[in-house]
Amino acid sequence: MSASNDGNSSPRSQFASHCFEDLLDSIIVDVASECHRIARLGLDRNLEEEEEELRLSVQARVADPSSSSEVNSKNVVDVFGQTHPAIAAEILKCMNCRQRVVAGRFAPHLEKCMGKGRKARKVTRSTVARSSHPHGSPVSVYAPYSNATSTNTAPNGTSGHAGEEYADYPYGET
Amino acid sequence: MSSFSAPSTGRRRNLYAPPPCPHLADYRSNAHGLAKPFRSLQPCLRVRPLGRPEIRREPQEIPRCSPCSAADGGGCGMGPRLYACLACAAVCCPAHAPSHAEECRPGHEIAVDVDRAELFCCACGDQVYDREFDKAVVLAQIAAAAANASASCSLPESLRKRRRVDYRPWTPDPREWATMRRESSPLLLPDASDPYSAGAANTSTSSPSSPPWGLRGLNNLGNTCFMNSVLQALLHTPPLRNYFLSDRHNRFVCQQKRRRKKDGSGGSMGGDRRNPSGGLPVCLACDLDAIYSGVFSGDRTPYSPAKFLYRWWQYASKLASYEQQDAHEFFISMLDGIHENVEQDQHKPQSQGNGDCCIAHRVFSGVLRSDVTCTICGFTSTTYDPCLDISLDLDSNQNYTNVPTTKSHACNGENDLILSSQICGVSTLMGCLERFTRPERLDSDQKFFCQHCKVRQESLKQMSIRKLPLVTGFHIKRFAHSSIKKMSRKVDRYLQFPFSLDMAPYLSSSILRSRFGNRIFAFDGDDSDAAIDLASEFELFAVITHSGTIEAGHYVTYLRLSNQWYKCDDAWITHVSENIVRDSQAYMLFYVQKTLYYEASEDVSAS
Repeated sequence: MSASNDGNSSPRSQFASHCFEDLLDSIIVDVASECHRIARLGLDRNLEEEEEELRLSVQARVADPSSSSEVNSKNVVDVFGQTHPAIAAEILKCMNCRQRVVAGRFAPHLEKCMGKGRKARKVTRSTVARSSHPHGSPVSVYAPYSNATSTNTAPNGTSGHAGEEYADYPYGET
Repeated sequence: MSSFSAPSTGRRRNLYAPPPCPHLADYRSNAHGLAKPFRSLQPCLRVRPLGRPEIRREPQEIPRCSPCSAADGGGCGMGPRLYACLACAAVCCPAHAPSHAEECRPGHEIAVDVDRAELFCCACGDQVYDREFDKAVVLAQIAAAAANASASCSLPESLRKRRRVDYRPWTPDPREWATMRRESSPLLLPDASDPYSAGAANTSTSSPSSPPWGLRGLNNLGNTCFMNSVLQALLHTPPLRNYFLSDRHNRFVCQQKRRRKKDGSGGSMGGDRRNPSGGLPVCLACDLDAIYSGVFSGDRTPYSPAKFLYRWWQYASKLASYEQQDAHEFFISMLDGIHENVEQDQHKPQSQGNGDCCIAHRVFSGVLRSDVTCTICGFTSTTYDPCLDISLDLDSNQNYTNVPTTKSHACNGENDLILSSQICGVSTLMGCLERFTRPERLDSDQKFFCQHCKVRQESLKQMSIRKLPLVTGFHIKRFAHSSIKKMSRKVDRYLQFPFSLDMAPYLSSSILRSRFGNRIFAFDGDDSDAAIDLASEFELFAVITHSGTIEAGHYVTYLRLSNQWYKCDDAWITHVSENIVRDSQAYMLFYVQKTLYYEASEDVSAS
């Protein structure tokens, strides 16, 4: 690297430039030495494969990505030749209450049925006291399905009603 | 010790040393009458804090180039490089080194860079490498680190390597054949002449003659695309799929066991979230087994995973609500559920690192290593933690302008895509992994208590992967939640991801080696078995994408089956081109190890 030729050629500034150049050279040699070792020992990644993947990716993005198959996939015939309604029409039997439910609306039904989620409405007097959760998070309220005077249990437990499978008390969750 | 042959196609071997130049070979064979080459250097190897080795005869010696000093009569004679001749310890700068070798030859060609502890052949004018020399350097570095009493968590028992064995193929014996014929019914094979298998209408690429087994849509039960997308990926995770299709978790047998267990304990066992009173304990693996049966039955009408949703809500009640949910959260919850159920039933050890506890961990569990190094004294504290997947930050670097890819392609040409992607700001999965394993300087408010210095010091933290799982899942952190602002935002930034991925550079062995200057040495955790290289190669098989906003978004899974890509959008399965997948906005990526190895089982009765 050539000496800097700013007008200032005092010994001090020259010495400073010299020091800087030495430091810079030293850093460059550090990197060169490390890279040389990595290359010679075959430690560098398989660069050709990496480049190839990047090239394919660039190619993919340049090619029109918004082909109709991407956008309107719900209006087409699927790979088996079937079409489906927007809301799944299969009729399912709820495991909790034995009612028949349309598949596309099964989750909201189940949520109410199991007494989960913020939309659960079945709160009885016996559970209100327990619902003041110390953490204040929007915890789903345990709502016994039938009897308003169902027994309270310890936070980790569930009250018993033979034959009905209750959701677990949320406090038991880690 | 003779060096190995050159690595094929650039694949690295852990202890590879390139063939020595004739001068180095001469030096080694002559060794100037000494028993070990480089012996004279040993006491001069000094290690600075943080491991940088140098050659100094005396600790405070300042080497100078003698010819330079003599000529300048007081010139400093120090340059960026100084070489000490191995034969006579004369120190020269690069300008004078060749003449020294020439004048004093033979025997004075090999020198050592005093500041970097690298061998240099003055005759060839090139840096050269030697295993013995590197070993000496590394041992000096280790000794220096030990002097600082580095604490490292001893490697968990579970990670000590087990003996590898050859794959033993199984064929049924006549009795087993008879049982199979008797107890099973053939699945209807897809008919090649079936008009339904002619392929999806709107794709430009041709689809295979008949869709592969196990491809089946999943009905959306009401905002359950988060569940469907993860289920599709898991249903086609090769080791998991094989496990369930091999009947390794038979839901009928398991149900009987659970019933017997419940009856045996005298009625309901309250207080267990898996066991609502009055019913059998929940087993998510059984419910997953049911889905496998359904999806691989040959029936192509969409499957409704209603029972699974019900069971999962019983298990993970906090997440149970009819709302948009996070697919990644569901993924972790599901794996935890499988683990808990199986682990409690079979009283297997909790340790997740080696995946002996349950199939979920056997497939997905890896081990991460975290090193925290004191920047003052070099003391390093190492911890190991199991992980089910790797969560990566997307660089949200505002400095990057999102330059359209056509521009980057044109201005930099084809040969420099890696560099141009870094300049033009395209995020890549490998870039994220590099950042994940990069040494990170911890903030001054996170000062680490150095056991050697006995005070809190600024430190460096570096992550690496100690053990790769069979299936590596990546979770791209696109949802930024701010607890302060009580809002979340989504990062829509495109992420490039490869179809084939080599995880070797991110392994602890590689990271450790680079910390010691990439010396030729068998580090702890290294496997000198050449097969280790293949064990780090992975292939992409599933991509879960998210489109839209946090409040109103949609998950879709792309599956790779027989090298064809299928888009699984709830009930709609379509065949798509590779380009569409590469262009998609990845949220979760699943890679499976290309080559599987078999370990000798510790359990004699295991098949």
